[in-house]
Amino acid sequence: MTAFMALLRRDLHVAARNAPLLLTGTLTQPILVVLVFGNILPRLHLVADEFRTVMLPGLMSITMMMAGVQGVLMPLATDLSGTREVDERLLAPIGVRGVAFGRVVAGAIHAAVAGLVALPVMMLLMHRLAGSDVRPDWVALFPLVALCGLLSAAFGLTLGANVEPRFSGLLFAVVLGPMMLFGCAYYPWAALTVLGPLQYVFLLNPLVFMSEAMRLAVTPGTPHMPLPLLFAGLAGFGFILTLVGSRAFERRTIL
Amino acid sequence: MSEPALLVEDLVKTYPGGRKDPAVEAVGGISFAVAPGEFFGLLGPNGAGKSTTLGCITTLVRPSAGRILVDGVDVVRRPAEAKRRIALVPQNRNLDRDLTVREVLTYHGRYFGLPAAEREGRADRLLEELQVADKAHAKPLTLSGGMQQRVLIARALMHDPKLLLLDEPTTGLDPQARRLLWDVLKALHRRGLTLILTTHYMEEADRLCQRLAIVDHGRILTMDTPAALKKTLPGGEILDLWVRAEAPLRPRLETIEGVARIEHVESHGDGDDGIERLRLFVDSRDGLLDRVLHETRGAGADVRHVSLTPPSLEDVYIHLTGKELRE
Repeated sequence: MTAFMALLRRDLHVAARNAPLLLTGTLTQPILVVLVFGNILPRLHLVADEFRTVMLPGLMSITMMMAGVQGVLMPLATDLSGTREVDERLLAPIGVRGVAFGRVVAGAIHAAVAGLVALPVMMLLMHRLAGSDVRPDWVALFPLVALCGLLSAAFGLTLGANVEPRFSGLLFAVVLGPMMLFGCAYYPWAALTVLGPLQYVFLLNPLVFMSEAMRLAVTPGTPHMPLPLLFAGLAGFGFILTLVGSRAFERRTIL
Repeated sequence: MSEPALLVEDLVKTYPGGRKDPAVEAVGGISFAVAPGEFFGLLGPNGAGKSTTLGCITTLVRPSAGRILVDGVDVVRRPAEAKRRIALVPQNRNLDRDLTVREVLTYHGRYFGLPAAEREGRADRLLEELQVADKAHAKPLTLSGGMQQRVLIARALMHDPKLLLLDEPTTGLDPQARRLLWDVLKALHRRGLTLILTTHYMEEADRLCQRLAIVDHGRILTMDTPAALKKTLPGGEILDLWVRAEAPLRPRLETIEGVARIEHVESHGDGDDGIERLRLFVDSRDGLLDRVLHETRGAGADVRHVSLTPPSLEDVYIHLTGKELRE
């Protein structure tokens, strides 16, 4: 436990030192999207007012997903680079899985902080927030943000341990891009009944559960997934991805 | 005999092959023991299996077969306990580039659960001892290779290991930095630390190690003290002879009294220039050199180079493998 906490402390120390850079990287995108789709377009009446309410929790989940994935992927690229900085961690008196899980927890904290900073910033930038359905339920928000953070970072570990660092650009285009568009960030999952049974295919995308979780926590008045399904999705995906990711990490690091 | 600091028994490591490449046996059954306080060396060319052996000892490589005990602790069964007893100075200078030099040491101390006062004090003392105190607040990547190497040693010593493993520590260092590092290692050995070094530099192995294993193709060819290894060579001195000869020279040279053995050396890189390199193991006696030159000229050969030297580890290596150490 000492070694685990020490490794985590090191990661948070380095992240805190780079905080302005990391936050700029993760917050730029949602801020620009909110400015265009949540402020300018509603003013021009090119987008329905309800869209702002639907979009806000979705953008929060995208922010967390990106922060969590990057929060693991980037340090992992350094770890596994030619000099193998990871060996220093692997030689600490802790199991290999413990080293992998430490990266997940650090990435989860990064994701949660990004989500919690993004929410008020986006609320501030949105056009006519007062009339909307945005009423954060703070009690539900914190545990759900924590779960979403863990899920995002576990996904980052799975990607980072399985994919060569030089392909990480491709990863964003081919994996994360489609995931965001089909992740119920810009439409509620409940409304997908129009697609018939195809609605259930969306459940293969972990981001769907994150978007719905934020809908429950930030805009509780709008339609969202029932809590048991939501929780099962977040915890289930989080668990499976942590397992798959740490196994891949072990294969990758211990020859 | 007390418990060895390190015991390696029948270690085998085979890297599984892929779709296109076959499986590679990097280590093919290595056994050795290192006594507490000993300075032990693994000498051999690149690709001989030295680094893989160190990887197995440090838990970074999973052995295919065999057993490794560090201070009586099985590294495969109880890795966390084993890791408390060992420290590695890796071949790649893998210092944490996001921390300062001093933080590299203090965080390493944290990983091993050292209390704050102890880890701060030890970090300062080690930075001083290894002559990198003035770089305490610099980022590791801004340091020279020699300095990075000393920081790696300081880092390794932070948790007070029983066994320090160094993988090719002086590769790529300039002669001055290399000598400084040798002094550091000798001082650590005098203090009672058990050290294991891999190297492909004969001189380094000869100067530092009390006992050596010469390794090639994943196997130990021989193992002894440097002096004893040199004594295994026939004769007492080495006569290195480079000639351009038309007729076979060996039969003539073999008749000379005092020549114990003649080996033909395959040398690399000098191309097919017709120069033959012979290595004569000789008892040095009056007139021997004269006789050799006389016979050589008698065979109509053209002598290009001749030298008479006491045997070195390189001669032992060439004697064992019939070739020069691959660099």
